[in-house]
Amino acid sequence: MPKPGKFNNSGWKKQYNEHDNRVETGGNPRRVIFKHSRFNKKGHQKDWSNSLRAHLEDEDVDMGSSGFSGHKKFHKKNGGRPGSPAPHKGGKRKLLESPTNWFRVTLPFGNKYDKDYILRTLLERVAPLPFLPISWNVNGTVATFYVDDYKLADKLHNLDKQIQCPDGFRLGIRVHSGSPNVDVNANMKEKMKLTMAKRYNAVNKALDLTRFHADPDLQDLFCALFKPIILLSVIDIISENIPEIEAINLNENRIQVLSHLRKLDKKLPNLKILHLGNNKVRDITMLDSLMGLPLVDLVLDGNPLCDKFRDQNVYISEVRKRFPKVTKLDGIVLPPPVGFDIPNEVVLPPSQQTYLCSGEAQGIVRQFLEQYFLIFDSESRQPLLQAYHENAMFSMTSNYAYGQNAKNSSWLNWYNTDNRNLLRVQDRDRRHKLLRQGQLSVVSFLSEMPGSKHDIHSFTVDLQLFTPQMLLLTVTGMFRELRSGHKTAPIRYFLRTLVIVPAGSGFCIANEQLYVTNATEEQAKNAFKTPIAEPTPTSTPTPAQITSTTSAATVTVPPMLDDNTKQQMVQAMAQQSGMNLEWSQKCLEETNWDFNRAAFVFTELQKQGTIPAEAFVK
Amino acid sequence: MSISKSKIDQACRVAEEFTKLYYESTDKRRHLISRLYLDTGILTWNGNGLTGNERIQKFYIELPSSDHTISTLDAQPIFDGAVNNQLSFLIQVSGTVKYQDKPPKSFQQSFVITAQGDKWKIVTDCFRLQEPLTSTDKN
Repeated sequence: MPKPGKFNNSGWKKQYNEHDNRVETGGNPRRVIFKHSRFNKKGHQKDWSNSLRAHLEDEDVDMGSSGFSGHKKFHKKNGGRPGSPAPHKGGKRKLLESPTNWFRVTLPFGNKYDKDYILRTLLERVAPLPFLPISWNVNGTVATFYVDDYKLADKLHNLDKQIQCPDGFRLGIRVHSGSPNVDVNANMKEKMKLTMAKRYNAVNKALDLTRFHADPDLQDLFCALFKPIILLSVIDIISENIPEIEAINLNENRIQVLSHLRKLDKKLPNLKILHLGNNKVRDITMLDSLMGLPLVDLVLDGNPLCDKFRDQNVYISEVRKRFPKVTKLDGIVLPPPVGFDIPNEVVLPPSQQTYLCSGEAQGIVRQFLEQYFLIFDSESRQPLLQAYHENAMFSMTSNYAYGQNAKNSSWLNWYNTDNRNLLRVQDRDRRHKLLRQGQLSVVSFLSEMPGSKHDIHSFTVDLQLFTPQMLLLTVTGMFRELRSGHKTAPIRYFLRTLVIVPAGSGFCIANEQLYVTNATEEQAKNAFKTPIAEPTPTSTPTPAQITSTTSAATVTVPPMLDDNTKQQMVQAMAQQSGMNLEWSQKCLEETNWDFNRAAFVFTELQKQGTIPAEAFVK
Repeated sequence: MSISKSKIDQACRVAEEFTKLYYESTDKRRHLISRLYLDTGILTWNGNGLTGNERIQKFYIELPSSDHTISTLDAQPIFDGAVNNQLSFLIQVSGTVKYQDKPPKSFQQSFVITAQGDKWKIVTDCFRLQEPLTSTDKN
């Protein structure tokens, strides 16, 4: 039953009571005195509190509360932190072991002496123990550093007030279990990177991070890999700079937790050798987060988890359950596991960029796609009217690719509004509405779509049917979405299935299904790698070439364009260029009815002033 | 002349049933997969073309075991003039597929199915994994 006046905050009523009570008894100071006097009376409670705190908290725990006896001078300096580093009366407090084995050493008035002098003196006094002070820092009058060894920490602890400095001052040395809070900044990351580069063997693709924090180049920093933030930074540096790495030695780093290393198999797909010896991993299940790594050589010896296994075979089988390819464990070559004669490898047939059921269709398909996407990517998609059958049907679906969502990739909101995903859209009327019917309805929808620039070199083409009645064509590829309000133009991936039927002298689309998603990171890397965006020599004819284009005629009149479309293009060209219809048509004919090319050529020639005046007479 | 609403409804309904059956078959009853195709059915799997349901059957038997999850589905009746008035639907699917215990990959797939007697059969089946083109793809 909590009594009012103590430190409990359970509910409004209690707080109210406490407040009342405090007014009665005269306020805050009482609480402080009360707490400490109680602790002093009950000795066993003091020990319990120390050891519990030492084990539960490992961040800068100060265990000096037992020494509180009114040394106001020290108390003030420490800004009211619980306890005080005042000298201990009577027998020395025994230094408790730390779960991480990290100890913070505090030297009050350490600022008075030269760092080298202090460290040299300590080095002499702790000999023959190796003395490795890490992250030396002076804050006000107090110097601190960290050591990673209990024996050394205990030795330093016993040297408290034992060292007389030249001025007669006896150097106080406080030792507590703990490590600093660390934040990895750019400067620290750079230093870590340089140290890692020094420890990397490019021939074997092996990185030795044994006792990383003890590296002479990192003495000023606290780079202990048992801190998840440090280990994660190290992994980031590896995956950014040497993703091909095959071996990492993490021996003797006091690593306890591995759960933050999930996805390591994605970041370092070639990691075959992992040495985790002499760390603090407590249970074999903690290795679950590393599953998926193709490990063949693993060292776990020297971790508490090994002590849990009485039977070596159980140990091996637990390791192989997680890393089936391990053939060397703790340096010992294992007998090969007995398996089954079924290949474990997943071998998929290699993919092909193009499948054409008929060779003679190749030209038609190529021209059709070139023409279609040229208009689709142009300022106006209106000319596509002629590319669609009067009863054409069009519908669109959209979804994020595996591993992507609205937070980690570009929003697909525009597409989702008209997403006819039948798994989501159950309403009959909505299903009808989202199926655009008729060329006007289709092209007006296409005109509303965000601007685009397709990468024709990224296309895959499957022509499955080619009959006198129809072509069935499936195209995938990437496009850059333009003018859609994104900070950087998103790279999208699409799949279009087209049922194309003959119409007049050309062809038109009768059915179309479009699927839009984001390109995966790997896909986007390859997007627009071929200079498709730049005018290629064939699409930027010099004036001399223009007159000869029709005779060179690698491409005849595109089959998809009927006379109607051509008339529309001529009108558009006349409007845009200011030339009369005759010359507009001439210009289009000479550029194979490639509207953008025609516009480009017109601009070039006009700059040169080679277009005769009669071209503008209407 | 616009296509009747009931035909559109039918396309949607058949597509829902068809995809359920198709992916159950590819994932769990591959030995029966050829029954879903016309004798002259066509499968292009990542650009590898196969004609005839027996070849398709053999291809599927050799493909690593799969587990498909469907994310989107769309269906339309195909224009009569393209298919000689033979009732046919165009179906498009996207989703993820896991081969054995490998991580899932995104895929897209499109089908033409047609009514043959009282059975729906696959005329064409076009499957594409959403992957970057490899250098071997270029041709």
